[in-house]
Amino acid sequence: MTELSASSGHLSDSAHADKSVYALRLGDDALIYAQRLAEWIASAPQLEEDVALGNIALDQLGQARSLLRYAGAVEGAGRDEDALAYFRDERDFLNAQIFELARGDFGFTIARMLVVSAYQWELYSRLQASTDETLAAVAAKAVKEVDYHRDHATQWTLRLGDGTDESHARMLAGLDLLWPYVPELFETDELVTTLATDGIAVDPAALEAPTLAYVDAVLTEATLTRPVTEVRHTGGRRGLHTEQMGFLLAEMQHLARSDPGARW
Amino acid sequence: MTAVPAAAISADEVRSIVAAVLDPEVPVLTIDDLGILRDVTVDASGHVEVTITPTYSGCPAMEAITADVTQALGDKGFRDVRVRLVLAPAWTTDWMSDAGKQKLLDYGIAPPQPRDDTTVRLTLSLRCPQCGSPDTRELSRFGSTACKALWVCNACREPFDHFKAI
Amino acid sequence: MYGSDFTPPGDTSDDTPRIEATDLDAQFQAIIDSDGKIEPRDAMPEAYRKGLIRQIAQHAHSEIIGMQPEGNWISRAPSLCRKAILMAKVQDEAGHGLYLYAAAETLGADRADLLDLLHSGRQKYSSIFNYPTLTWADMGAIGWLVDGAAIVNQVPLCRCSYGPYARAMVRVCKEESFHQRQGFEILNTLSHGTTAQHAMAQDAVNRWWWPSLMMFGPPDDASPNSAQSMAWGIKRFSNDDLRQRFVDMTVPQAEALGLRLPDPGLRWNEERGHHDFSPIDFTELFEVIKGNGPCNKSRMEHRRGAHEEGAWVREAAAAYADKAAARAAEAPAA
Ligand SMILES: [Fe+2]
Ligand SMILES: [Fe+2]
Ligand SMILES: [Zn+2]
Repeated sequence: MTELSASSGHLSDSAHADKSVYALRLGDDALIYAQRLAEWIASAPQLEEDVALGNIALDQLGQARSLLRYAGAVEGAGRDEDALAYFRDERDFLNAQIFELARGDFGFTIARMLVVSAYQWELYSRLQASTDETLAAVAAKAVKEVDYHRDHATQWTLRLGDGTDESHARMLAGLDLLWPYVPELFETDELVTTLATDGIAVDPAALEAPTLAYVDAVLTEATLTRPVTEVRHTGGRRGLHTEQMGFLLAEMQHLARSDPGARW
Repeated sequence: MTAVPAAAISADEVRSIVAAVLDPEVPVLTIDDLGILRDVTVDASGHVEVTITPTYSGCPAMEAITADVTQALGDKGFRDVRVRLVLAPAWTTDWMSDAGKQKLLDYGIAPPQPRDDTTVRLTLSLRCPQCGSPDTRELSRFGSTACKALWVCNACREPFDHFKAI
Repeated sequence: MYGSDFTPPGDTSDDTPRIEATDLDAQFQAIIDSDGKIEPRDAMPEAYRKGLIRQIAQHAHSEIIGMQPEGNWISRAPSLCRKAILMAKVQDEAGHGLYLYAAAETLGADRADLLDLLHSGRQKYSSIFNYPTLTWADMGAIGWLVDGAAIVNQVPLCRCSYGPYARAMVRVCKEESFHQRQGFEILNTLSHGTTAQHAMAQDAVNRWWWPSLMMFGPPDDASPNSAQSMAWGIKRFSNDDLRQRFVDMTVPQAEALGLRLPDPGLRWNEERGHHDFSPIDFTELFEVIKGNGPCNKSRMEHRRGAHEEGAWVREAAAAYADKAAARAAEAPAA
């Protein structure tokens, strides 16, 4: 059951509800991404990367907590960050699918980080100016952190793209795997355009050109090219996910659900 | 424990109790040195409200700091305490006090440099906190805690943490 | 001089080693005996250098293998707050590893070689990490007991004779203290939570107590390297002394937690002013050290697997660095 229906009319309370959904979308992106990135801790190619990927995952988790907390508060139904993270089912998660894709190899990890951090940087640098104080505050903090992530992904894209034949091939394979999931980041719907008109949200469609311009510039310097594909996978914002999502949630949620009344 | 009459305690005294609470990750710094203590207010009934802000979104120490602030005030008789977490304006290393920077240096951590707003890539050469040489290099952009990077001194070979400017 | 920018130009007077290689042993021992610090550029007896590299490397190995048992639970942490704390903790341990390898490199070692020694089994890591983490409560027990024991072991190292190692330990111990506090809080919450949670906490303490005591190593009469380490100012207290200190420190904390330490022989001895405890089954420790602990194989396989899988990444980084250097050399001087 999804809470969001893009075609539903906007009643007086609905702007409020929409804002909660918007915060949830961004919060789910960060939460699910943190969960995936953290899989590298103790498994990275070198110790510096155990630290770096752990650090980036922690930043994403921190951003997720702020956003989920706010989504719950705006919703006003008494759900805190943990209720939202642990006691929603798959169809209620609103993250874009790109965040849930299996960890993959280091090439895929860097390809995803390059696109996602470029996207988040464009998003948060604009959302800082949101008329909603909390979203603006979360964004102002996040953009500083994402700046580091984007730089990290950039450095590694250069090394892998312009490193050895193998690393070049792996980066290309990672980009190929990733690309059908990229357009979803820039999808827009009535909910978000309405919020954007009010200055609360940032219309994702406006982020496509600057994000891809950044990515293209890095890829070119790294002797790589952006894949050309017509294939698009989408649905995350409506709670439709890949098969990989269910396993991620099962692992993340099982303990919290095993003793529902308990405090941890 | 004797209850402290609210009127007998000035806001400054309350603030100094809170300001002395140590950061649990870098416990040579107080939360005031770090600049994460934003405000302390006491109303006529003795209700204390403390406002803190995290260094990073994912800072794992905020809960511990909240507990320590509550404890420190409780020890002095203040039981009616609320600790508020605010995100805006976003913390910057520019809020770290000069005393804090000196304490970091004495502790062996190169303090944050004045912030350069244009990019994260540009870190000027740091001086080694051990021997003072400027001949140092970055070993890892990310260090044990989110706020630190790992550097090494080419002159005396000392590895050292650098508190990154954000 | 609070900011690094305002420090006077590099004071490199330390460049001249205080110890000439000629009458090395006497001068070296004099520094040690006066509680002075040996610095990287000082001449030092080869055995001291080698022994230190080995100790610091094995300390670093322990930090990075130690990421595995706790890393196991990051994906399953039962609240986002606990997840963040655990993630940060495991990242701290990686950072400690990184820092310690850099400290070993001050003695002329190379991290890649030290990792090879770990991967080939010629250097060890702490036996404690060869036990499995079976429930969430193990995150509490590890933080409280394992980080707690590590602190007791490492606090004296803050005064050890090798400067970079001693200074590293000062900061590492502070971070370990925060870990211990967080572990205590996990157990405290569980112990005072639901019946099932309390049982989970007690079970974890039952499983981790004895292995934690073994972290201090064999008893003094079976610890051959200790005497030399003491003479060189690397070790300050004997294994048994440190173990006793840990027991005395932990007993009141267990009471505060409302958890039982699984030793019927544990009691306060008024005469000694210490707690007595039952004899430790050191055959278990020696079995684990020999490689027969429950997780020795899986920990090493995981570590080697990550290293081998990451080889192409490290090769790419090296190749890129070479190309970049070549390009810089070719570029006409501006
Ligand atoms: Fe550690
Ligand atoms: Fe630790
Ligand atoms: Zn130096």
